[in-house]
Amino acid sequence: MNLFRSEEHARRWPAFQPKAEQGFLTLPQLAGFFGTETRRHMLDPDYLSAWYPKRAAERRAYLESIGKTTPFWLGTPDPEET
Amino acid sequence: MPDAALLDRAFTHMMRGLVDTGTAPHYAELARPLGLSVEASQTLLHELLQAYPIGWLHPETDYIASFPPLNSLPTQYRITVRGEQKWFAQCGFEATSVTWLFPGETVRIEAPCLDCGDPLTVEMRDGRILGADPESVVGHLNYGFGASRGRNWFL
Repeated sequence: MNLFRSEEHARRWPAFQPKAEQGFLTLPQLAGFFGTETRRHMLDPDYLSAWYPKRAAERRAYLESIGKTTPFWLGTPDPEET
Repeated sequence: MPDAALLDRAFTHMMRGLVDTGTAPHYAELARPLGLSVEASQTLLHELLQAYPIGWLHPETDYIASFPPLNSLPTQYRITVRGEQKWFAQCGFEATSVTWLFPGETVRIEAPCLDCGDPLTVEMRDGRILGADPESVVGHLNYGFGASRGRNWFL
């Protein structure tokens, strides 16, 4: 999960995976993905018990809201890999 | 199963320690603030990382390497706050949530581009992007999320 100077820089990276053409997020999308409600409570004394358990559902909902619904993003089984 | 309140306290000490100093406390340093023996604190460290599995220990040690969004082990994602660069983010994505650990402060993310080595920077405050250089900076996930992808999620 890296930052690049541009999409073209990422594609030129020798380790770039062909399947990862779908792996781009704009900076505003990243700020949204990592700025969901639970993230704002990381310094709360009950973060681990009260907020962290909500993180996975929140992340999924955000990804779906920006159209990232493939197995690559959602971590679900990929029919093309089985 | 450890007490949830104790795990919360351990988490908070760990995260606060990282925010205050840039490095994660050792389990022996957590013992007294948590009212535990050193041995019990060592056990608790492992229980904490079972409860927060997106963090990890350096292999074959009890040293915290990563406790996202911050890393105790340096990465290329350097974080500067109040003119001081003493933090590292776990990855480029987590770097954009470090802003929530420093409310009201400008958080500067600096990294070399993995393609060319030229610098890129992003500045944020309270979750807002203040600027990026170059403006074309993007995030990229090279291996999909999920254990089946076979690589660590932060790569």
